[in-house]
Amino acid sequence: MGDSRKVTTSRDRWTTTSVAITAAIFLVSAVLGFVLLPRWEAGAQVAGIWDSICRAAGLPRQQDPGDVVTADYKTSLVKLATAVSHKRDEEAIGRGATLAQQCAICHGPTGVSRADSPNLAGQYASVVYKQLRDFKDGVRVNAVMTPFALKLSEQDMQDLAAYYAYLPRLPGFHPPESMEVPRIVESGAPLRGIAPCGSCHGNIENKLGSPWLEGQSDLYLKTQLEAFVSGSRQNDISKQMRNVARAMSAEEIEQAAKYYANKPPPYLTQ
Amino acid sequence: MANGHNPSAGVAERVERRWASVSVLIIVFLAGMAAFAGIHQATMPQATVETIDPTSIHLAGEFIESNLGSAVEGDGTVTVRAIGQQYSFSPPCILVPAETPITFRATSADVVHGFLVQGTNINTMLVPGYVSVQKATFDAPGEHLMPCQEFCSVGHEGMWGKVQVVTKEQFLSQMGDKRRLSCAP
Amino acid sequence: MLHNRKLILAHFWLAFAVFALALVLGAWQMYIRSPLSPWISNPEWYYRSLTAHGTVMGYVFPTLVAMGFGYAISEAALQQQLVGGRWAWAGFWLIAVGAVVAMIPVALGQASVLYTFYPPLIGNPFYYIGVVMVVVGSWFWVALMSVNLRIWKRANPAKPVPLAMFANVAGSYLWAWTAVGAALELLLQIIPVALGLRSTIDAGLARVFFSWTLHAIVYFWLMPTYIAYYTIVPRSIGGRIYSDTMARVSFILFLIVAMPIGIHHAFEDPQVGAGFKFIHSAFTALVALPTLLTVFTICASIEIAARLRGGKGAFGWIKALPWRNPIMLAMAFSFIMLGFGGAGGLINMSYQLNTSIHNTQWITGHFHLIFGGAIVIMYFAIAYDFWPHLTGRPLASLHLVRLQLWLWFIGMIITTFPWHWVGILGMPRRMSYFDYSDPALAIDAISVVLSALGGFILVASGILFIVVLVRSHLGAPDKIEEYRFAVAVHPPVRVLAALNSHGIWIALMVGLTVTNYGYPILQLAVRNDTSVPAVYVGER
Repeated sequence: MGDSRKVTTSRDRWTTTSVAITAAIFLVSAVLGFVLLPRWEAGAQVAGIWDSICRAAGLPRQQDPGDVVTADYKTSLVKLATAVSHKRDEEAIGRGATLAQQCAICHGPTGVSRADSPNLAGQYASVVYKQLRDFKDGVRVNAVMTPFALKLSEQDMQDLAAYYAYLPRLPGFHPPESMEVPRIVESGAPLRGIAPCGSCHGNIENKLGSPWLEGQSDLYLKTQLEAFVSGSRQNDISKQMRNVARAMSAEEIEQAAKYYANKPPPYLTQ
Repeated sequence: MANGHNPSAGVAERVERRWASVSVLIIVFLAGMAAFAGIHQATMPQATVETIDPTSIHLAGEFIESNLGSAVEGDGTVTVRAIGQQYSFSPPCILVPAETPITFRATSADVVHGFLVQGTNINTMLVPGYVSVQKATFDAPGEHLMPCQEFCSVGHEGMWGKVQVVTKEQFLSQMGDKRRLSCAP
Repeated sequence: MLHNRKLILAHFWLAFAVFALALVLGAWQMYIRSPLSPWISNPEWYYRSLTAHGTVMGYVFPTLVAMGFGYAISEAALQQQLVGGRWAWAGFWLIAVGAVVAMIPVALGQASVLYTFYPPLIGNPFYYIGVVMVVVGSWFWVALMSVNLRIWKRANPAKPVPLAMFANVAGSYLWAWTAVGAALELLLQIIPVALGLRSTIDAGLARVFFSWTLHAIVYFWLMPTYIAYYTIVPRSIGGRIYSDTMARVSFILFLIVAMPIGIHHAFEDPQVGAGFKFIHSAFTALVALPTLLTVFTICASIEIAARLRGGKGAFGWIKALPWRNPIMLAMAFSFIMLGFGGAGGLINMSYQLNTSIHNTQWITGHFHLIFGGAIVIMYFAIAYDFWPHLTGRPLASLHLVRLQLWLWFIGMIITTFPWHWVGILGMPRRMSYFDYSDPALAIDAISVVLSALGGFILVASGILFIVVLVRSHLGAPDKIEEYRFAVAVHPPVRVLAALNSHGIWIALMVGLTVTNYGYPILQLAVRNDTSVPAVYVGER
């Protein structure tokens, strides 16, 4: 039999039969998959055989959104992925340091606040930028911050973000004697759609735009969570924090805020 | 072919060939059943590939936060719009009427997610850059858990949504004159 | 005559060593997410372990086994010393170093992306580079298999290629081609982003590339098992291969159809058209054919052995089989698990049934049953069969071998059957803990506990396996016979060219890849509006 001949001779029965069978299977399944099944399934939607084939092949289209319901409040305009640069820019940090002098009155000369305003030292750059941007765009409203933010240019906000991110981050203060990690913080509440706080807020991993919470003021954290609950704060993209906060009980909000709060710095307790 | 001298050599060949035919028939039958099930209104893959820009879904278009949730269409069907993001769904609780054709339209805001509705065969991936479409009809009221079924990084285990199915009357009365409805807290 | 025993042993030892480590991780994972354990305080550890377990079990362990077995086949079946031994060692070291390079960032929590990568999640670039090194190391083996076969064919014109080598080389070509998908995903998409050269990636396209690899890789894992069914089991139990021709046909069918069917892993993906999902579904149905043929041929082959031992009756011959022979045990266990796992596979390939279990624990149960069960138990059998010939020492204790195989089988059934069940109940994959106190999830609890207990049994079996190999290797040397493969009832004197070479079949495989994958890939690759921002893991 045919072993001394080259295998690819067209006279070789096995070759021709195999190729023919393969091609036939392909063609039959193509006709079924591209023409007949879409026609039988989609019905009126499909405008003719060419449209059916293109859809079934997966030619990408964009859908017309139709009638979109818009909110009667402003939502964040920030695109987090491209908001700030990931590269360290020494000049930006320098400019930011200068700008930050006007912030020191509330946020502290080293980014650690003496009042209940947030500690900015070591805060993620994307977070600082986003909140400033949201204040400027009127998406987040605060009697003190809004006037400051309105005066800042885009470059100013980038510089401030770079500066504060460069400062050393506040460490967490969780001596084991003083408290156990509250369940809501350590494990979230999965069936209420709450992941552990650290999944986004940096203890486990940082989701871009989620603030580092360690060492913030207890009162500030509680107020912000309650603002998400009431909806008076709505700059969280796609309601993610509003959904989380609303699924938390009042007690859980207290526990989380207390857990992340730092012990007060020495110069405040003396 | 194999060694042709021995007559019993042909026996094996014949038997194997008979089995091969039976196998092919079994396979064709199974594949035919799948096609039959597909044609007779069983669930089918989404008909169209749709693209979308995940970085701007919160700025404009059908997935902005105020447009998410259940919407009643002109023909009485309901369209549910949702997004998956690290690590929750928006809306976290989806409210739908029973015995009504529903179209789920969803996408991801960041990484690959997915969702399945427990107790049903509603199951799809959410790939950033693409819109997933699933059609379904719930037979009866009830509550279903809706977990994210794809690894989306460290908070994945916390990503559970819910689907609440109510009667058509309850749904319409809760809808009232709102244009979008959900059972988010 | 096995000349390169050290080379083969190196592959097997490294394979089984990393297997044992990954097995322990697997059992830990089962325990951690079960009701037996409190919720883990840092879920990232779980996902880190998942990444390590999957990467080792999927990319390192089976590759090394296939390679070691392949070198052994090349020398024993062709009766020809391996040509290119230095390249073989180079490939081995590339894999060993690559595995370490990959595992370091994983161990440090910098690459918890799972072995399926899933961009736009992006981890440390060295993880991916390590995986690429492993794949490239295995391609050295592919080249050597091809070269060695060609040398033998030139020296033995018109002679039939021994079945074991024919199948082995088919498997190597299948692997080389199927690895291209993941290689393209890694080299063109993921690694540039991981290195910071780009910051966006088309997640949909990456999933299509990965699906190219994802199905046929399991057939690459399967090849050593099937080769063992055909060429080791019949000899070991005193029988013959029922039909050499049909065996070749089966391996050829795998070579053609195993690869261009990967989109059934993307049935629920929104970036692939329904028409291509259907075509892949149709071809996936085809790949059941070689398995059905194999089951028949192997059952016929063992029936021959049984009747030669005096077995009588339509089914009575089963009793006459040499059940004390570990290879017989392993094969029987493997077939049972293959039956259940294969049935599960038929469900997965049917789009409508798949929607109920996609990405649930059913899937995990399925591939542990078929890979960890049916396939790996034959890896054990292969190791046991070759060990005396590689080490020059007989196996330490057949009793321990049989015990180990029984434990693996029972453990795998206990682990995977409840696993399938919770998948049907809708339990999702890859979560580090579950709230079993909720009534909707409480029904999963008992099954998950059973699976976890099964996992501990598997660890015991794995430890026993290593113990047997070590004790055997350290035993007293003895005269070991020359290695032989099984012989067909009618050994072929001449074989059709089509059943003696791979060229046309590779051409069909590549052709089907073009028809089945060409458009789905191109339609996404040419667009610039489907890339999304990378999300870097491990950022704190």
